[in-house]
Amino acid sequence: MTDLLPTDGLAYFGRFGVTEELLRAAFDRAMSTGADWAELFFQHRITHHLGLEDGAVNRAYGSVMLGVGVRVIKGDQTGYAYTEELTRQAVCDAAATAAVIANEAAGRGPSAFEIKRLPDRYPVQQPWPGVGVAEKMPILTRLNELAFARSPDIVKVRVGFADADGAVLVVDSDGRMSFDRQPMAQMTLSCTAERGSQRESCSANLAGREGFEFFTDTRVEKLAGDAVDRTLFLFDATVAPAGAMPVVLAAGSSGILLHEAIGHGMEADFNRKGISVYSDKLGQAIANPDVTIVDDGTEVGARGAINVDDEGVEGQRTVLVEQGVLRTYMHDRISARHYGVEPTGNGRRESFRSPPLPRMRSTYMLPGRHDPAEIIASVKRGVYASSFTNGQVMIGAGDFTFYIKTGYLIEDGKLTRPIKDTNIIGNGPECLKKTDMVGTDFEFDDGGWTCGKDGQSVPVSLGMPTVRVAEITVGGVNQ
Amino acid sequence: MSAAPDEMLQAAHAAAARAKAHGADEAKVVVSRSRGVDLEWRDGRLERVQERTRRSLSVEIFVDGRYSASSTNDLRPEALEAFFADAVAMTRLLEKDPHRCLPDPAAYAGRADVDLDLVDPGYGAVSSAERRQVVEELEALVRAADPDLPIISVSTEVSDTWSQSARVHTNGFEGAREGTSFVLGAMVTVKDADGRRPMGWDYTVRRHRSDLDSPGAVAQAAASRARAQLGAGKLPTGRYPIVLVNRAVPRLLGAFLGPLNGPALQQKQSLWDGRLGEAIASPLLTIYDEPHRVRGLGSALWDGDGFATHRRPLLEGGILRTFFIDHYYGLKMGVAPTGGDTHNLAWTLGNRDLDGLIADVGEGVLIDRFLGGNSNGTSGEFSFGCAGRVIRGGQLAEPVAEVNLAGNLDGIWKQLVAVGNDPDPNSGAACPSCVLDGVQLSGQ
Repeated sequence: MTDLLPTDGLAYFGRFGVTEELLRAAFDRAMSTGADWAELFFQHRITHHLGLEDGAVNRAYGSVMLGVGVRVIKGDQTGYAYTEELTRQAVCDAAATAAVIANEAAGRGPSAFEIKRLPDRYPVQQPWPGVGVAEKMPILTRLNELAFARSPDIVKVRVGFADADGAVLVVDSDGRMSFDRQPMAQMTLSCTAERGSQRESCSANLAGREGFEFFTDTRVEKLAGDAVDRTLFLFDATVAPAGAMPVVLAAGSSGILLHEAIGHGMEADFNRKGISVYSDKLGQAIANPDVTIVDDGTEVGARGAINVDDEGVEGQRTVLVEQGVLRTYMHDRISARHYGVEPTGNGRRESFRSPPLPRMRSTYMLPGRHDPAEIIASVKRGVYASSFTNGQVMIGAGDFTFYIKTGYLIEDGKLTRPIKDTNIIGNGPECLKKTDMVGTDFEFDDGGWTCGKDGQSVPVSLGMPTVRVAEITVGGVNQ
Repeated sequence: MSAAPDEMLQAAHAAAARAKAHGADEAKVVVSRSRGVDLEWRDGRLERVQERTRRSLSVEIFVDGRYSASSTNDLRPEALEAFFADAVAMTRLLEKDPHRCLPDPAAYAGRADVDLDLVDPGYGAVSSAERRQVVEELEALVRAADPDLPIISVSTEVSDTWSQSARVHTNGFEGAREGTSFVLGAMVTVKDADGRRPMGWDYTVRRHRSDLDSPGAVAQAAASRARAQLGAGKLPTGRYPIVLVNRAVPRLLGAFLGPLNGPALQQKQSLWDGRLGEAIASPLLTIYDEPHRVRGLGSALWDGDGFATHRRPLLEGGILRTFFIDHYYGLKMGVAPTGGDTHNLAWTLGNRDLDGLIADVGEGVLIDRFLGGNSNGTSGEFSFGCAGRVIRGGQLAEPVAEVNLAGNLDGIWKQLVAVGNDPDPNSGAACPSCVLDGVQLSGQ
């Protein structure tokens, strides 16, 4: 699937009736009220899900999604409409509906379309359309066997296997045209274990923008190990104590801290509206000089990778915080125009049913200079967080949370009692200032993270070295 | 505006017939369509106008003892032929599941003869100009509600949706439904002295437009919630009596009820396994599922299995009365199905309003919103971020943020000591404000 040309996009969507003539007619309608700019976002996505429960691969789910979203921009204002019928009439009607946002003299659509070549950040060896149920089933069965073989305490296993093959064609009134094929591979293993009358359950997942080759033996074995070991870990764990204390975050998925504590607040739409806690802070030191934070669409094969964003801007690597200083927000076209800068390729959307918004891709902190062991040893009494399930943030106040599934208490510089199921709550800017040790051990997480904003979900990735936050509120229970 | 319900039913029957023609032994089909408009207004200008028109076909297929479910919105005839062919072919490759089948048609009987009144007949009459006027006026009302509020930005929204669907099972079930919903909301972001920008918001949602809370009430609530967050500090870690405001209650109740579902029980991931008939909450907690509430946000005459819905107790005096077990998990567990869905909730209310509950508590903490967190439905631990106000001398005092509430689902609702008389009308769960004693809150 290398060397995709946008012309392949017209060929791809041509089978649904999309032609250059249809594009011209739709842009004439979209620009008919004097808009600054308009865009058509065509999308076709086929997803499959296979499930194993109680030892059998006995359920499958499929979905087909097809449609086009028409966006018309006047200043900061957006008119949006979509249709699931790709006929000339339906697309032109949607364009006319979106055009109500502007009310001036008629403008014109593009006279020619410029074809944009894109890099290939998800080279696929075995594309999903050629992979059948029979080829996928043994992977689910193997995961089930591996989980039961790993511990006699396991009593229930569920496996989910999901793949997607998406195609998007983005065309705008400046005549730019981009076409991308977007694969996704994901699997989840959920276990229940029993010891006497006590039960515990936990799950683990893996995801990447890859084809069937994603499911290597190594990955399958690691997933089984992670899910079972995490489940068994919970038997000896209790919730953490309550109160403010130092927290050490393990390398990898603790990038969720960045996503919540700073990532959302750096999405330029919130700043354009003045409603982010990071509004008016560009160029200022907001973190320790050891802290450099990147949002990156170029990480090959990552769940958060994008060749092109959902408004035709190439995916790229954006340094948000450089040695503690806030360098740039994450922009879509609207906010970039508002700030007079180039868009950063962060304009993303869940589907053709929604307009794009500034969204994260793969968000991570670069490694620092502290030995991870030294970081743990520095804490007299605190919490070490190993794995996470979810997080959330209030953009304006800056308060954020993330939920620790497994970890340890740190006492006198050593990991002691296992802990579980404890939420952490803090304030973004305060937490960044208190992130005072950054480890040398960067790890990129390959979990199936999904970010929600304005009711829209998009796939993202996370990465982090081991770090210490000098003080943050641990939402545990004091006995 | 709409296809007649008969047309939707015909489309569903036709799809079911196509599924059988392609080799399905039995099928469940849902066809649906919806239309909606959203307007967002911000600081004196229209920010976004969005029109939504959706349609879809979903089919569950039973073939040769095997099962799959698929959906599509590509409804071109040639695409549908390929869709059914692929769905049946995919199903044949799976392993058999002896518990997958349609319910006995006798189980479809008993549908209530009630007019749920879920459609506002005035739906199509709302004009673009009217919507625009509503959001514009709402902004003015927010700004007027508290003239000294250090406002950075006000955004308001209005949204309306009409939807229709028809369900057909090849062994005799059919039903069509239609509904409308209307939303009006306001968000106000204010600047705090320390640079933080807290946001107050309120919204109202109803089946009928004329039932919506007044724009003045929405504006007042959003402005006063923003005002109440200014100067928020941290709370000392400790155990406190808390007043949980009605609109925050669903977070704590949802985590509590979640593990009652069939999949959690069957997969041994429920702390409530074997606890039916036991007191798992305070005697003050009595909640019924009320699917036939007229104009109810969650009202429905049948569920996803085609079973007729009935009013039923979930908890009576704190005693657990039912699990949520659908047809499939019922067969798998060897028990009678109880219905896998809940609809609207009806609580046994107390006799105090929110101010009365605050006065009764005297010293404690009001929790009016949650932020993130999660729960473990297998062993019961939960931990949620939250925020609110300190209660001192029976009055609301300073705001607190960055608070966390933690405990175990097995026990937290036993700490309930008072139920308010203020069910939230903007939610099918209709939760009243609640008072819980001795709750672990973390802060500084």
